[in-house]
Amino acid sequence: MNKQTVHESSEYHVSGKAIYIDDIAESPELLHAKVYASEIPAGVIKSFNLEKAKRLKGVKAVLSHKDIPGVNQMGPIFHDEPILSAGKLEFVGQAIFLVAAETEEIATEAISLIEIETEETDAIIRLEDAIENGELLHPVRKIECGSIEKAFDEAENIIEGRFHTGAQEHWYLETQISLAIPGEGKEMKVYCSTQHPSETQALVAESLGVMKHEVEVEIRRMGGAFGGKETQANHVAIWAALLANTTHKPVKLRLSRDEDQKMTGKRHPFLINFEAAFDNSGLIKAVDVTLNADSGYSSDLTMPIIERAMFHAENAYFIPNMRILGKAWKTNLPSNTAFRGFGGPQGMAGMENIIDKIARILNKDAAEIRYINFYRQKDNNLTPYGQIVENNRLHIIWDKIIKTSNYYKRREAVIFFNSNNTYKKRGLAISPVKFGISFTTAFLNQAGALVNIYKDGSVLVNHGGTEMGQGLHTKIQMIASAELGIDYKSIKVNATNTAKIPNTSATAASSGSDLNGMAVKDAIIKLKKRIADVISNHFRSENNSSCTANDILFENDYVIDKTKPENRLPFAEAIMIVYLERVSLSATGFYKTPGIFYNTEKGKGHPFYYYAFGMSVSEVEIDLITGHHEILRTDILHDAGKSINESLDIGQIEGGFVQGLGWVTSEECKWDEKGNLLNHSPDTYKIPSINDIPEDFRVNLLTGYPNPNTIRQSKAVGEPPFMLALSVWLAIKDAISSVANHKIEPEIDIPATHEKILIAIENIKALLNQ
Amino acid sequence: MNKHNKHIKFVLDNEIVSIDFNKDPHLKSTTTLLKYLRLLPNHKGTKEGCAEGDCGACTVVLVELNNDNTLEYKAVNSCLVFLPMIHGKQVITVENLEESGKLHPIQKSFIENHASQCGFCTPGFVMSTFSVYKSGNLVTDTVIKDSLAGNLCRCTGYRPIFDAAKEAISDIKPDHFSNDEELTKNQLLEIKAEKGSILIEKGKQIYFLPFKLTEALDYKLKHSDAIIINGATDTALRVTKKNEFLPHIIDISHIDELKEIIDTKDSIIIGANLNLNDLRDLVALEFEALYDILNVFGSKQIRNLAGLGGNIASASPIGDTLPVLMAYNASVILLSAKGKREIRLEDFIIDYRKTSLADNEIIKSVRLPKTPNNLFVKAYKISKRKDLDISSVSAGFRVILKNNIVNEIALFFGGMAAKAVRAKNTEQFLHAKKWTLENIEAARRILFDEFKPLSDARAEAEGRKIMAANLLKQFWLDSIVK
Ligand SMILES: Cc1cc2nc3c(=O)[nH]c(=O)nc-3n(C[C@H](O)[C@H](O)[C@H](O)COP(=O)(O)OP(=O)(O)OC[C@H]3O[C@@H](n4cnc5c(N)ncnc54)[C@H](O)[C@@H]3O)c2cc1C
Ligand code: FES
Ligand code: FES
Repeated sequence: MNKQTVHESSEYHVSGKAIYIDDIAESPELLHAKVYASEIPAGVIKSFNLEKAKRLKGVKAVLSHKDIPGVNQMGPIFHDEPILSAGKLEFVGQAIFLVAAETEEIATEAISLIEIETEETDAIIRLEDAIENGELLHPVRKIECGSIEKAFDEAENIIEGRFHTGAQEHWYLETQISLAIPGEGKEMKVYCSTQHPSETQALVAESLGVMKHEVEVEIRRMGGAFGGKETQANHVAIWAALLANTTHKPVKLRLSRDEDQKMTGKRHPFLINFEAAFDNSGLIKAVDVTLNADSGYSSDLTMPIIERAMFHAENAYFIPNMRILGKAWKTNLPSNTAFRGFGGPQGMAGMENIIDKIARILNKDAAEIRYINFYRQKDNNLTPYGQIVENNRLHIIWDKIIKTSNYYKRREAVIFFNSNNTYKKRGLAISPVKFGISFTTAFLNQAGALVNIYKDGSVLVNHGGTEMGQGLHTKIQMIASAELGIDYKSIKVNATNTAKIPNTSATAASSGSDLNGMAVKDAIIKLKKRIADVISNHFRSENNSSCTANDILFENDYVIDKTKPENRLPFAEAIMIVYLERVSLSATGFYKTPGIFYNTEKGKGHPFYYYAFGMSVSEVEIDLITGHHEILRTDILHDAGKSINESLDIGQIEGGFVQGLGWVTSEECKWDEKGNLLNHSPDTYKIPSINDIPEDFRVNLLTGYPNPNTIRQSKAVGEPPFMLALSVWLAIKDAISSVANHKIEPEIDIPATHEKILIAIENIKALLNQ
Repeated sequence: MNKHNKHIKFVLDNEIVSIDFNKDPHLKSTTTLLKYLRLLPNHKGTKEGCAEGDCGACTVVLVELNNDNTLEYKAVNSCLVFLPMIHGKQVITVENLEESGKLHPIQKSFIENHASQCGFCTPGFVMSTFSVYKSGNLVTDTVIKDSLAGNLCRCTGYRPIFDAAKEAISDIKPDHFSNDEELTKNQLLEIKAEKGSILIEKGKQIYFLPFKLTEALDYKLKHSDAIIINGATDTALRVTKKNEFLPHIIDISHIDELKEIIDTKDSIIIGANLNLNDLRDLVALEFEALYDILNVFGSKQIRNLAGLGGNIASASPIGDTLPVLMAYNASVILLSAKGKREIRLEDFIIDYRKTSLADNEIIKSVRLPKTPNNLFVKAYKISKRKDLDISSVSAGFRVILKNNIVNEIALFFGGMAAKAVRAKNTEQFLHAKKWTLENIEAARRILFDEFKPLSDARAEAEGRKIMAANLLKQFWLDSIVK
């Protein structure tokens, strides 16, 4: 396969011709929708009057919860999310009413004419307050191994502490959008920028009170998603569909950037409490960690996210005695949701923070503590949840990256630099990632495909995965091309459509190509078998061959008789013969990942099909006066198995890393005491820009280590690289700690903004002077 | 009054387009260029990512005919541009780059370098790159990054985008725009030849676009309710973000007299509407502190639109140029139909978003006295992100030392109070003292408590106080290496 195959849509991207939902040609009948959202964080609706809004010229519908024909419910797992508030208000930004009008301006004006009387009640905004008030959303989850009591009793050293990781806004460039078009009878077609068309379909159907076969959801491409369109795209789809259903007109609902930032959930903030026992060499004996997640007002995906955080709370380290508690706390904020890494980043950050603290106490390079605690190959390889870490690549990657990054030489250089500079300090850190691949909810690990071959030999592939920029369709196209032995250009991957592939899982958990690639392969195997049957017959009767179906090869756009290779038919000709023989050229494919299970009560099981590994080394320079930092260099070595498309995989690694960089440095969400998000626009919410990436950025794939049992021996690569950015946060801490000669571990949360860096420096200086 | 034209004209898709707002039900004079383009069937490549100038997804290139008969290609955020502002210019969108089915070298480079993932940001990056390409100059990596810092991408991590832009810019060849140059010039000249200012009255909204300063001043005298706009990088947000209705606007962005820069013996006089990119280049040598600030001011797209006049008239506590201009002892030259006055900038800014600008006045220019040799001026900006961010704290400082004794000192801060303020207590303490680290440390403690800044989305009060105090130290450090 050609590793340089470019993104299937790149020509459309660069020329402005790629069609996103907002670019679909508008019908003259199209109505524009707006949402009236709660301005208070908690309370009840006393009364409302929609008459003035309804009377405004150009307004076609104003809906409240009473106008929902089906069920007023859009929670994806638990039924705790009303589509429109039925009286109880639980966060600023909660949808209460919907408006559809001839133009966006009229819809906006109509919103301002809605009269509502509410009564505000006490709200819980801060996670700390939720914990204090005992506002648990679900029972506490636990994973435990060994005996932590005993280990702490016998410990040589014990540390404890807590730290906070912040919320992160997805900031997909394309905000949430849906276009709902009513058909005949009860039909509804919804174009929705969603990662999970089947769920969007199901929830739209339930809200309209119709059967699911009446609703068709389609998505060609999203302008970014990152988890933010896994469940919360459903909201916009449902709202648009309700309005379209009432008005019998197409309705488009696109959230403005501010609406999107205020109304939708973010990466869960975590408050992590930890205690760890270790010996004088730095070997960790026990860890007791509590992961407190800020769920927001409802469940959404919080429980599986906490679960994944727990599965990654030990990151790449063997901890013989460990207790991990996961707690979902309810606050009066939008429901937090999936975001690349899905709890993994928070879990890992907790562990890496522990390692740093141990290093400072033992006065060692944190790299050394990391290395001695790694999972090993033959022993020390059992995770706290009972899965063995197989095909462990940690040591291979470590050996390579320590060399290529010149880690130890640069450590010396950093020490030298710091001893010669008063106002600038450098820091260096290496951080590993071990990331479990699969949906941890076993039944989600299934996928479907439908492959059609047309009479001219062109192939149309449908599968359940969605394209959000990650290049899934490109990879699927390459997989189909390799399996069918025909040119990539003869294959087209269609828009994802629930009418073509039913009952799919979200494109999430980095599993897009693993699952859908296998399903497509399954369909192609069926088709090849049918073609081979017909064509071997053909060669026998026309070419005097004695070949069987097993002797038929698909290569270089030909169908070939292996026993007599001069017997060959161009693919398209072969297809025509199959057609004339009246054999179906359309096949479905299906795949389920084998061997996955997990028992929540026991906290044991085998939740992952395999692990992906990676490491990064980052060097930063901080300015002690301004708190600004620069990333001088980052080296990454990442394991993508046998890569299907190296350029796409490198793109995922770099993109994921830079997104992680934002999470650990500049992306900060603050709320006022009334639950208003202060950083609700890019004016105050700062994702990395081009000058924030490492000045020297060296990204490489681990080669020579194919992944057994996956599609073309590749590995999922969407999420794992996000967490490589922890090396930047750790390097910043390393630089700060140099102010006190690495004797004191700086207390600094995620994100380490310029301001928090300055405050950490002040604190560390104050401690030094004590 | 009857001389006024009612329509605007510009070049799009190689043709002169005329808009008569009263004939088009979808358009108002405050409709943004982005909205307009997205209403057209063939220009949906221009995307909306934020509608506030922060993401660059809406970037298009505006081509202007300069007085020396050259064409200048400027990237702007189309989400901040009101339609009449493009009068007399050519608009180039991503769709225009392709010619009869052949992609532009920039587009090819983006494909080959895998510079798009979801692709939503891509048209904007392509257009920002295009503006550099058309400058015709080979540029440094820093200049490329500076030109792309106003575009956000959430997918790629930027490395391939940078590579793509660099590769395209390293091999600039004449493109179809070069071939069409004469046609474009003639079209722009043809529009320019139409005399008379533009007055658009539609519904309850009036938009006046004069070409001469006197017209603007006369109009302002008669209509004191009309608000002035130049780049609209502040004002457009009132429409796009706050849904405000602006009933009466005078757009002074087409008045050449407000864009001049005059070099006299003892000062330079900067036209209020000179765009900040050009200004940055012009002051690079003589007013380094101003240059430093303009370097981290908004983005290239924003600086292509914005002028000093808007920054000063907004009188925002976080207006970045205010502390540095005050440190240079700048004064503001104000004009009305009745006369002219000049006032020190420090005195012009009265309070939170309040100046002493009279109803009928406009800011003509800003005078910067040339700095005597013994005057040391520096300016700083601290923000969460290096580029395209509003400051948490900014500062402009000046000091005159005689025998290492402080003879004169002025310390101005942004972000520390309701307006750009002077740290009088700290100055007083330092005055006539030795310029030593010890005294600076003592001054820092005074400075730490001198202001009571706010905690807001950008920073906490505590953090701001540390930053302000630290900047004084940075000033001292910079002064001794000098
Ligand atoms: C994305 C973005 C980034 C930004 N970044 C920065 C930044 O880094 N630092 C910073 O300080 N600001 C920043 N700004 C704010 C803004 O760009 C500046 O204040 C700019 O200088 C405004 O100039 P303008 O010509 O666009 O003003 P306009 O919006 O046209 O006008 C602003 C105000 O000034 C008045 N005005 C303009 N010109 C005159 C005149 N000649 N006489 C009298 N009144 C006049 C107008 O009436 C109006 O009240 C940013 C804005 C955006 C949207
Ligand atoms: S839409 Fe974001 S800058 Fe214009
Ligand atoms: S490619 Fe998706 S935002 Fe840039």
